[in-house]
Amino acid sequence: MNNTDAALFKDKKMGFLIYLGIEAIMFMVLFMTYTIFTPPTKDPFPADIFEIKTVVLASVFLLSSSVTLFLSDKYLKKERKTPFIIWLVLTFLLAAAFLGVEINEFASYVQQGYTTSSNVFMGAFYVLVGLHAAHVVFGIGWMIILFIHHIRKIPAPLFLSKQTIFSYYWHFVDLIWVLIIIIVYVPYL
Amino acid sequence: MNWSEITVHIPFFGESIFLTIDVFIAWILLIVLVIGAIVYAFRKRKFPVIRDYLYTTNHRKVGTLYMIFGFIFFLRAGLDALFIRLQLALPNNNFMDFQLEKYNETFTSHGTMMIFFAAMPMLIGLMNIAVPLQIGAKDLAFPFLNAVSLWLFVAGGVMFGSAYFLNSSPAIGWTGYAPYSTAVYTPGAATNFYVFGVQISGLGTIFAALNMIVTIVRHRAPGMKLIRMPLFPWASLVTSFLIVIAFTVLAIALYLLMFDRLFGTSFFGGEEGDPVYWQHLFWFFGHPEVYVLALPAFGLFSDIISSFSKKPIFGYPAMVISLALIGFLGFMVWAHHMFTVGLGPMVNTFFAVTTMTIAIPTGIKVFNWIFTMHGGSLKTTTPMLFAIGFIPSFVMGGVTGVMLAVSAADFQLHDTHFVVAHFHYVILASTILGIFAGLYYWYPKITGYQLNETLGKWHFWLFLIGYHMTFLPMHLTGMQGLPRRVYTYGSDEGMTALNFTSTIGASLMGVSIVILVWNIWQTNRQGILVGDDPWDGRTLEWSVASPSPEDTFTPMPFIECTDPFWDAKTKGQKLKTAPNPRPAPIDEHTVLPFLMALAVLVIGFGLIYQSYLTAGIGGVAIFALFIIRSFRDEHTSFHKEGARHE
Repeated sequence: MNNTDAALFKDKKMGFLIYLGIEAIMFMVLFMTYTIFTPPTKDPFPADIFEIKTVVLASVFLLSSSVTLFLSDKYLKKERKTPFIIWLVLTFLLAAAFLGVEINEFASYVQQGYTTSSNVFMGAFYVLVGLHAAHVVFGIGWMIILFIHHIRKIPAPLFLSKQTIFSYYWHFVDLIWVLIIIIVYVPYL
Repeated sequence: MNWSEITVHIPFFGESIFLTIDVFIAWILLIVLVIGAIVYAFRKRKFPVIRDYLYTTNHRKVGTLYMIFGFIFFLRAGLDALFIRLQLALPNNNFMDFQLEKYNETFTSHGTMMIFFAAMPMLIGLMNIAVPLQIGAKDLAFPFLNAVSLWLFVAGGVMFGSAYFLNSSPAIGWTGYAPYSTAVYTPGAATNFYVFGVQISGLGTIFAALNMIVTIVRHRAPGMKLIRMPLFPWASLVTSFLIVIAFTVLAIALYLLMFDRLFGTSFFGGEEGDPVYWQHLFWFFGHPEVYVLALPAFGLFSDIISSFSKKPIFGYPAMVISLALIGFLGFMVWAHHMFTVGLGPMVNTFFAVTTMTIAIPTGIKVFNWIFTMHGGSLKTTTPMLFAIGFIPSFVMGGVTGVMLAVSAADFQLHDTHFVVAHFHYVILASTILGIFAGLYYWYPKITGYQLNETLGKWHFWLFLIGYHMTFLPMHLTGMQGLPRRVYTYGSDEGMTALNFTSTIGASLMGVSIVILVWNIWQTNRQGILVGDDPWDGRTLEWSVASPSPEDTFTPMPFIECTDPFWDAKTKGQKLKTAPNPRPAPIDEHTVLPFLMALAVLVIGFGLIYQSYLTAGIGGVAIFALFIIRSFRDEHTSFHKEGARHE
């Protein structure tokens, strides 16, 4: 990286970390909302609808995607293209698998008649976990764009900066999922 | 004549819109104004300029646009205020159809627009214009994001402003209290306009604050340590942190309210929901918001008072610490808006004490301003007049603030005109006088011209007198029990004279704004260039050309003290130059920010009228624009150019 690239990259990193701080505050308020309204006073209760199997499966997919992305980053810095792309593709697949589990979970709730209007717990659940799922969808789209950038062979320092910002984002989304496990699911499993 | 019976029906999004006669007149006026503006632009060949501003990411130009749009919304919200005052001028009055629901719509629009679409953007505009010039930055850290912030604010403002023209103005108060703001009590588009208008412009505000933080932390000129910064950048930094926290909480509050209104949840209403939760979330945003409005004005007045007293600011460290303290305490006082909710004596006492504590750092600032002037050689220019007028007016608002903080007394004063008087005293004195002072002070940096001083002084005196005439009587009517948000009062209640005085005062302020508009028009028409340093200033912005060029600070100055420009002038030297300044942000010319805001506007309208197809089209458009942006960002083209040069 030359002087300009390095300086602007540092600006971007700081700006994005502040942005993640903003996201953290957003999720904090939603976690607060969830804890205020859960458990609810009427049906459905979280203990009746959460399934340990789904939570474990989703967590395995999403948390391991953080590890694969970390490895992908490592090989990018070493400029070893093949392992880099393999680990990034794996990250993509794990994210898609997580999303599949999430969609399945939401669909099964809706089939059982548990929608946003069922009670205030379901509402708080959907706005929180749904916003997180939206972040995963956004991340998957972002990865597709990264692949295209990689194929187009944009300048190496530029690609490194794009990939680094994405990995900040992805690790943050993972961290939120850990908090979702602890605050949303575990107390009621 | 009964105004409310004259209506026009127009189909819109599957609904029939009733246009009352005042809305109909407003439509005609709007169309005439738009046609007039287009004809003017054609005649004077202004389209290249308009195009340039549409595509710009330069901080001064973006700031100017913030000021222009903010001022337009300010005029609109000011008209609302005049209608409110005309309705309240006499007991049992029937001014046009501004009674009942229409009155509710008018004060809701007035409050919401003044705070979100007039005061905030004009302050952010001044920050955009002045902060980079004061700290020796060539632009904001993220010029593209800056343009996105601007157009998001404009989109939100246009959306909220259009509600009136579709005869569906929200009528829920600027606080949007639940459960009244939920779909049970206010179904339909009106309240949605509040939710989405504020949400969209709030998003822009958050990005603007993020940008400001990175700029101030990373883009200062070499040698410009944080403790050598002028106080306006300091105030902007503290304010930006407040925005980042407070507006994010508001964004989620509105997100939850949106789900309550459109998607069947019941966080704030129904048998399970809790309306008080909305109040907590809203005021956790709302109170820091007051300091978001006040702190930039504090910083601005500090610089102006120091400039026109020909002295460095008295007690600089105390000024910085008190700014930070006010910002910190601002997050611990929100429940003083909720003393009458019934949170219990312990909670009320805690929040009463924290609220009173804020008077201490604020008092420090007031004394330091006075000590700065003490023994200085004062020049009573228009910006300085606004600064001097600010101090006693603001202190009066501060004193009633301490009165209201006494929670027992608040049970009597809550929701009366006393509260209206209090918050207008603090917000007008700090924010609005501050914006005017900043406008006069930095006008040379924006346009190269100086606003006429005689007209400026007329503006100042009329505004100040009108302001005290309007709000001083409200203390008395409030203590006599006149509730706010009620459209009339009886003739036997002994409030007629006081209310009539208020109305006269409001008209005086209106006249003063006409003088300001006339002043701006005349100054620009005459176009007399005044040079780089018309005020004999102290800080860096006066060392660059007027209006500030796109490429400022070449060569980059090296800073060794506070007030570096003054220091160099008194020593008869030029500013020292720094050999290796940091690389500047890459400026670009792009219409993408404008298009992004347009897409968001489409999403907003789709959701307001629950036309999910429209919202979906907007959604696809915004993601397409993200992708285009990703492939054509300024870094890519910068690298391509670099390759070509090699």
